[in-house]
Amino acid sequence: MAENDCKDCKDCKKQARWREDFPITWESDNYITRREMVKFLGLGSLLIAGANFMVAGVPHLVRATSYPQTRLGLMSEIPVGGSRLFNYPTGDDPCIVVHKDDGTLVAYSQVCTHLSCAVIHSEKDNALFCPCHNGYFTVNEGRPYAGPPTRPLPRIKLEQRGEEIYAIGVEV
Amino acid sequence: MTRQTQGTTLFTALLVLIGIGVVVQLWLLAASVDAVLRHNVQIPLHAALGSVIVFLINGGLVMYVFWFDKRIKQ
Ligand code: FES
Repeated sequence: MAENDCKDCKDCKKQARWREDFPITWESDNYITRREMVKFLGLGSLLIAGANFMVAGVPHLVRATSYPQTRLGLMSEIPVGGSRLFNYPTGDDPCIVVHKDDGTLVAYSQVCTHLSCAVIHSEKDNALFCPCHNGYFTVNEGRPYAGPPTRPLPRIKLEQRGEEIYAIGVEV
Repeated sequence: MTRQTQGTTLFTALLVLIGIGVVVQLWLLAASVDAVLRHNVQIPLHAALGSVIVFLINGGLVMYVFWFDKRIKQ
């Protein structure tokens, strides 16, 4: 359509002057935008790849952090089949240690992996139980087997030095 | 005229391909974050490698677009 063929607009001359000020046709305007878009997408692609590598590095960084060695008490202080609460690695991280029937100890973070309520040891079910939404975790591995939680409880590494029990790390 | 139309079509097609690549990368990034939060170590590594491969393909396509652009201008 020629420029002066416009029937909808009664003020075509004014429009023609406007076009002189910005002498870019719609076709070339599209072309420039697409070229810039390609540049933008290429740069975006590079940034996303970099971000992906950073995310992949996070678990390795977390692993590299050193944990303190905290004395939990004497083995005999925790009755077989019973449990005891402690805080590890900081005073704000509640944990639970369970003395299993076979005589070994296992410890987990007490923070439920569903919505962060505190799990407790249920001797009756031989499980770690979250009363908020009836979530159950196995004592042996801390794996969820009933209720809404889908992720296992972080495990606290323990070390026995004679009669004494020490927490030495966190296994996620 | 025909040559210009073909060039425009090719340009648009490459743009769409690169766009799809970026969307795939975003999906890989979201999957990585999800895996990290689930304490999985393997999935983010594979996703990062996949993302780099997609970036290389995207980079190749971008280079091709500019090479093509330059050739048309000449
Ligand atoms: S918070 Fe533990 S089951 Fe929901």
